[in-house]
Amino acid sequence: MTSPSRPTSTPSTRRKTINTMTEPTFGFFDQDTKKEIRRALLKAVSLPGYTVPFASREMPIARGWGTGGLQITLSLIEEDDVLKVIDQGCDGSVNAVNIRDFIVATTGVRTTCHTSDATVIQSRHRIPEQPLTENQILVLQVPVPEVLTTVEPDTGRQKDMHAHRDYSRLWVLLYEDTAQFGDSRISSRYPVAVHDHYVMDPSPIPRYDIPRLHNNPALLLFGAGREKRIYAIPPFTTVTPLVFADRPFRIETFDGICCERCGTSGVFFDQVQREDGTHYYCSDTDNCDSMLKRKQNAA
Amino acid sequence: MSYVAIKGGTEAITASKALYKKMLAGEFPDIDGVQGQLLFGLDRIMGEGALYSQQMGIRAIEYSGCDLLEAAFYLRAHRSTCRRAGIAETVRTEDIRLVRRISSAFKEIPGGQILGPSSDYLFKLLAEKRPVPGPSTIPVAAARGKVAGALDELRRQERILQLEVDQEEPFDITRATPLPPYPRSSLMQMMARGETGSMLAFAYTSLRGYGDVHPTIGELRLGMVALETTHPFTGNRVTVGEIRVTAVESVGSFKKDPRDGKLRLATGFGFCFGFNETKAIAMSILDLAMTWPSFSIGGEDGVATSPEMIMHHIDGIESMGFTNHFKMPHYVTFQADLHTFNKAKDNKHHD
Repeated sequence: MTSPSRPTSTPSTRRKTINTMTEPTFGFFDQDTKKEIRRALLKAVSLPGYTVPFASREMPIARGWGTGGLQITLSLIEEDDVLKVIDQGCDGSVNAVNIRDFIVATTGVRTTCHTSDATVIQSRHRIPEQPLTENQILVLQVPVPEVLTTVEPDTGRQKDMHAHRDYSRLWVLLYEDTAQFGDSRISSRYPVAVHDHYVMDPSPIPRYDIPRLHNNPALLLFGAGREKRIYAIPPFTTVTPLVFADRPFRIETFDGICCERCGTSGVFFDQVQREDGTHYYCSDTDNCDSMLKRKQNAA
Repeated sequence: MSYVAIKGGTEAITASKALYKKMLAGEFPDIDGVQGQLLFGLDRIMGEGALYSQQMGIRAIEYSGCDLLEAAFYLRAHRSTCRRAGIAETVRTEDIRLVRRISSAFKEIPGGQILGPSSDYLFKLLAEKRPVPGPSTIPVAAARGKVAGALDELRRQERILQLEVDQEEPFDITRATPLPPYPRSSLMQMMARGETGSMLAFAYTSLRGYGDVHPTIGELRLGMVALETTHPFTGNRVTVGEIRVTAVESVGSFKKDPRDGKLRLATGFGFCFGFNETKAIAMSILDLAMTWPSFSIGGEDGVATSPEMIMHHIDGIESMGFTNHFKMPHYVTFQADLHTFNKAKDNKHHD
């Protein structure tokens, strides 16, 4: 399997002449908007985990439905990119289909469901099971970019707290939950420290996906359209969840469970309740398809 | 419990968009005699005006020049001239003949997820042509019978907080002024008539910083439901008619139930006249925030956790009326203000 690679230069041969007065440009945005978002992205990469404010354009889909991720994707995608869009691990869910349709309509890029074939992956709530490579960019849609919101709603004070690396109130919240319930009640979007400095919200990925943020070879970009923030985890960066020294970080475990479709175990599962009981299937549908294919080929 | 996607992507979206366009074009089963293009405006003002009358509602929109708050005001005023016929039987959400039903909490729910007519996946591009009717072969799920609630199983396992059952007659806010501590039924009525925008704003505060964090929609239902009442002369149960409604149940955080010390999830309920998903969701969030403030992860003192705040600030017709009264002459009071201002001790300007 060959590793996908991001285009290194802008090929202009396939770019058609666009009348900017009547037609949207490649990737929906005008060039100034793309420039602004790219500058925010560069700053975000330079300051891992720091939330960079940006103007955040109005998109033809509702704010809170992935407009942050969409703006990042549209500002960096090139003609030769291969796009994958997933929602909760699935390429076929309605939100993923909708966003993919829009990106394709405004760029004409090729799309794929296979993680390994994609150069740009936009995702909601999951990191693909298959390890990412240096040639890939993962764009995560973020509802709440500010990790301190729960303990301090004032944005000015939040900024001060980050500047001083004052995360004491977050620690108190974690402590109170741990004392009462044995663990934090934060199930998804668990706070993480990036490069031993800024503490950030990793978007509502389950805890299972948190360790896979650490030293990931791919560039991880986070976009919050409604909250107008962009932030990043550059490739091979230290990412650690906030945990007490005497309490190990606990991820979701599915002991003794394998996918009813492909037989895989040790991945993140969707739990499905039906009249006849509880069923488990791979949350990452592409991974499930690959496993099933591999199994059939082996048989 | 996990938060998973509604799958079935492409076909479901295509059918949903077609159904939505068909509904706006006035070609939707069960929505008779409504001017399709006015549907959501009409539903909104019937809820906020607290009068379910499509004819009067359409007239109110015309009279108000499509200022929807003003139109709701017409309905509310007209309502004062109507004699009350009686009290309907309690509507049960499982009796709603579904047009749309989604759960963001569960991938599969007994009775299934129905995307139904929705504008959620329409790109908001003005370059696109106006909605036109889609193909006429779109199946409509409205014919289903009773469909159990998506959270019923969790409720059966006693993992959801149970409200103390209030056996008293519902408080009627149109016949008496509720006083604190507000009966739940009075708060629910205030919210059912509340202005969509105000409720949205208050609910949103509790989502982003001033209270609870991120509730999950256990279930959202849109559909038609029959209203039944007891005939005043014959004493027989009669069906008065059918109304469009939206019902939402959302799930919040968990904590120890003070009654037995077991961990339980808190839920909120929203219900309104007509198809108005935004309002029903906002109402469920406000109910969650007010009813179970101690279950809020971010603290108990959010704006939306205060029944005082919600009770007195979400009625659009009241707040619009008072805000607009500032257009009236205030010569006397302002003259008095100026007088006091001029007399003020440190007013050097007037020395």
